[in-house]
Amino acid sequence: MDLSFWILQFLNAMQYSMLLFLLSIGLTVIFGLLHFVNLAHASLYMMGAYIGISVAALTGSFWAAFFLAPVIVTLIGAMLYFTLIDRMRTAGPMNQVLVTFGLIFIFLDLVRMGWGDIALGLDGPQSLSGTTRFLGVDYPAYRLFIIALGLGVMTTMWFILSRTQIGAMIRASVENTDMAAAMGINVSTLFFLVFCFGCALAGLAGVAAAPILSATTTMGITILIPTLIVVVIGGLGSLEGAIAGSIIIGFMETFGAVMIPSFSAVLTYVLLAVVLIWRPQGLIPARG
Amino acid sequence: MFYQTKFRSITLIAALIFLASYASFGSYFAREIVVEIIILAILAISLDLCAGFGGMVSLCHGAIMGVAAYAFAIMSAKLGWPLFPSALIGLLAAVVVSGLVGWVTARTNGIFFIMATLAFGQMAYTFFFKSRWLGGDDGMGGISRFDLSAIGLEMNNSLTFTYLGLGVLLLAYGLTAMVMRSGFGRTLSGIHVNEDRMKALGVNTAAHRAKAMAFSGFIAGLAGLIAAQHTLYISPELLIWTTSGEALIVVILGGLGTLVGPVIGAILLVLMKHEISDYTDYWHAFIGLVLIFTVLAGGRGVFGQIEYWLNSLRSRHHDPDNHQTAGKPQGGDHA
Amino acid sequence: MEKYNLSYWGTIVKTIATKLALVTGLCLNLGFSMISTASAETKVGLLLPYTGTYAALGNAITEGFELAIEEAGREDEFTVIVEDSEMKPPVGLAKARKLVYQDEVDVIAGVVSSGVLGAMRDFIHQSQVPLIVANAGNNLATGENCSPYIVRVSFSNGQINRPMGTWLAENGVKTIYTLAPDYAAGHQMIDAFTKAFTAAGGEVIGSEFTPFGQTKDFGPYLTNAQASGADGIFVFYAGGEAINFVKQYGSFDIKTPLYGSGFLTSPLYVEAEGEAAIGVRASLHYIPTLDTPENKAFIKAFQAKYNAMPSEYAVQGYDAALALMAAVDNGGVDRATLAAQLPRVSYVGPRGPLEIDPATNNIVQNIYIYDTVMENGVLTQKMIDTVPSVRDDAAGCQM
Repeated sequence: MDLSFWILQFLNAMQYSMLLFLLSIGLTVIFGLLHFVNLAHASLYMMGAYIGISVAALTGSFWAAFFLAPVIVTLIGAMLYFTLIDRMRTAGPMNQVLVTFGLIFIFLDLVRMGWGDIALGLDGPQSLSGTTRFLGVDYPAYRLFIIALGLGVMTTMWFILSRTQIGAMIRASVENTDMAAAMGINVSTLFFLVFCFGCALAGLAGVAAAPILSATTTMGITILIPTLIVVVIGGLGSLEGAIAGSIIIGFMETFGAVMIPSFSAVLTYVLLAVVLIWRPQGLIPARG
Repeated sequence: MFYQTKFRSITLIAALIFLASYASFGSYFAREIVVEIIILAILAISLDLCAGFGGMVSLCHGAIMGVAAYAFAIMSAKLGWPLFPSALIGLLAAVVVSGLVGWVTARTNGIFFIMATLAFGQMAYTFFFKSRWLGGDDGMGGISRFDLSAIGLEMNNSLTFTYLGLGVLLLAYGLTAMVMRSGFGRTLSGIHVNEDRMKALGVNTAAHRAKAMAFSGFIAGLAGLIAAQHTLYISPELLIWTTSGEALIVVILGGLGTLVGPVIGAILLVLMKHEISDYTDYWHAFIGLVLIFTVLAGGRGVFGQIEYWLNSLRSRHHDPDNHQTAGKPQGGDHA
Repeated sequence: MEKYNLSYWGTIVKTIATKLALVTGLCLNLGFSMISTASAETKVGLLLPYTGTYAALGNAITEGFELAIEEAGREDEFTVIVEDSEMKPPVGLAKARKLVYQDEVDVIAGVVSSGVLGAMRDFIHQSQVPLIVANAGNNLATGENCSPYIVRVSFSNGQINRPMGTWLAENGVKTIYTLAPDYAAGHQMIDAFTKAFTAAGGEVIGSEFTPFGQTKDFGPYLTNAQASGADGIFVFYAGGEAINFVKQYGSFDIKTPLYGSGFLTSPLYVEAEGEAAIGVRASLHYIPTLDTPENKAFIKAFQAKYNAMPSEYAVQGYDAALALMAAVDNGGVDRATLAAQLPRVSYVGPRGPLEIDPATNNIVQNIYIYDTVMENGVLTQKMIDTVPSVRDDAAGCQM
């Protein structure tokens, strides 16, 4: 096991962390601002993958899928917002969980009707096929792209939140929604925009993951648990928490698989239990 | 807080009579369906105890049920113990595991409690899934039926088995209702509504929550024993989190915090599933729609909603002072 | 269930009868006895998953089964009652009991998961209703836990992988690294391969089992396998996991050749795997490119009806129906005679010559070693070698 082995595993861990980050960040932002537990986020991720596959099949271009799938998923999300999400905002977390769990069931069957039960795949772009020399090792170019994408989204979100006016409005609303509204911020528009942004990220994660993972009808339900674990370990609703959670889980699962494989199936659950017993609000709880 | 109102008693008796006649006059498969309803209803009652009264929405109740079933099967089929002590060990295992989970998660609330219980449930699931001694994911058989011929019951007769299952359901309901009406149950509701105040009153809230989980584990264990006795075969499928999720759906569908609601919910869910799957494989979507509709209609669940209507009728026409909390979803907004 | 409509009206009538009886809660037995005595046809219960992870397999097996009976023009002879096992052992058992006690079927066919088969095993054995297993590969079902009433026309986990172990060792592969999901079937497949490979002089220098259904990123495992320096990687993955694994293997540009249990590059999934599947060498009991008249006729009929290439799962469904019809032709009219005739079935089907081994009731069949290749822009299977008439030993099976 030389150095290049560990560099490879480090990149594997980074890649997995960034996939988890793309998924969990949308969920946690929506919770942080709207106080809404949107389990259907996982279904939007699945829709991103399936819509991406269809767009790629129609246009013959991965990049068309990459840019269009998040847009279409955002439209689906906007529809959900006006039909269900908005009116459920004050209904309490229990009801929100149940309504969005119902949505998961509905999306599951919609995908089965539209795309069938057989697992599907999506080819990555030709320009990112094969491996690239990086840090002295040959690493799949597409995986490097995922890492860059995750870091890019992370930086952009940090910039928006800390350096722009809309970021200041979001931060103000997270701290105190009533006060923000009193200061003249149009809170409901802001909520809608943030919700759409979260949905776009879910769609993006779906289409970006499709060349690495196959699209299956159960992918929404199976990704739900890891995503929730990331968000909860980090602290629901906190951006820093989502980053920390993704990196912890990504690295732990990767190096767990390398070093203690027979234990790796329960590693995440053990960590989740330990974190919650030690810090019942997650590692970096959200303010407000 | 729990009240065993006349309406609840009548509904429960009616539900049991319905199930008994459905099993007696229906086809053979009707009995299979009724046993499935019984197992789900007992599990849902056990979950309602935690979620509806203690605000502890657990996603590990399926796992606790499975622990009881596995402990029973290990003792009887693997170690050759007689069935009765094996069953007691099964129940004891469920009580201990459930109480321990309740104890270590006592400081977490809401979604964090849900996730912590999920973690413990999935650990148990993974343990049995990976255990090659117990057949891993292929499950284990070789479980034998209770021999109750001494008291004139032929357990291999599916109708007798179904009636006995209904008896256990009634027992589970009765025990839970009794405990919830006692000071113990009232304290649990008190902790749910305002934990700080109960602490100030000198209640060890963490211990109380753990005890409630332990008792709930006993009830879930009963469901596990019936499941093992029914199929004479168990697999890790019992413990997976979606089993707990299904029980939660049943509780909400019927009415959280009503104890009768979960029984009604189990009947509705299982019958709906079987009826719809006769026509289409897409029954998940239908269940999803029902779930959304239930919440949009007020979140009281089918039984809870009817009770709510009756109460508001009654308080308008007859007894203006009798404002029971019965129809109100208890704890739904705090979970 | 509308999925299957041989004797469609009979099913409709029965469904209506069931509903009416349920509504009144009375007279159901009367209603049923009227219908079930109406004809002397063979009643078949088809028990397969139509929801959940393995719904695609259930559908493929149903398609094959349906095709065989339709091709033979014997729709009127068989009443087929379809039940969804949901891939859950208790549900599978409950549905099996329903098929036996309520529908009074003469024979049950299907069963995809070994868990469901395990749950049903004792019940089938005691109720003496013949079961034609059309997928579930648990070795024990035709080994230690075998039963005269359980006949398997699909494969056993050992049967697929033993020949590959021997073949690889004999063809110059000295060291192997194995990977498979961490569940019972994964262990059986790898164990069978390892035993045969070692016995023929090869050495397994590393082995890992990945958490089943949770593993999304095979990167860490692939990196481990590559670092082991083995001559080849041998894996078993199926369904969505197979797609993930093959694609990720491809993206790493790993020079170590990939071998596998043939489910890895099944026709059902190979399209989704794309170019990454090219060059993967695997062993399976059926490949669509077999050059025999039986297979060509089968492919033609299958494509005409479903407009798709058949997978090994579709063939298993097809052969379940062929075996059943052969048993009926040899005098199987009820549960007992069908159970007696099924183990004596032998014929040449799309997979080649088939027979049931009376010692275990498992199928005896050829195992094909094949490469996945690109031909005219389409991924297809190129046969490399045939291991004829692979038979399981009667490991602990006493009928």
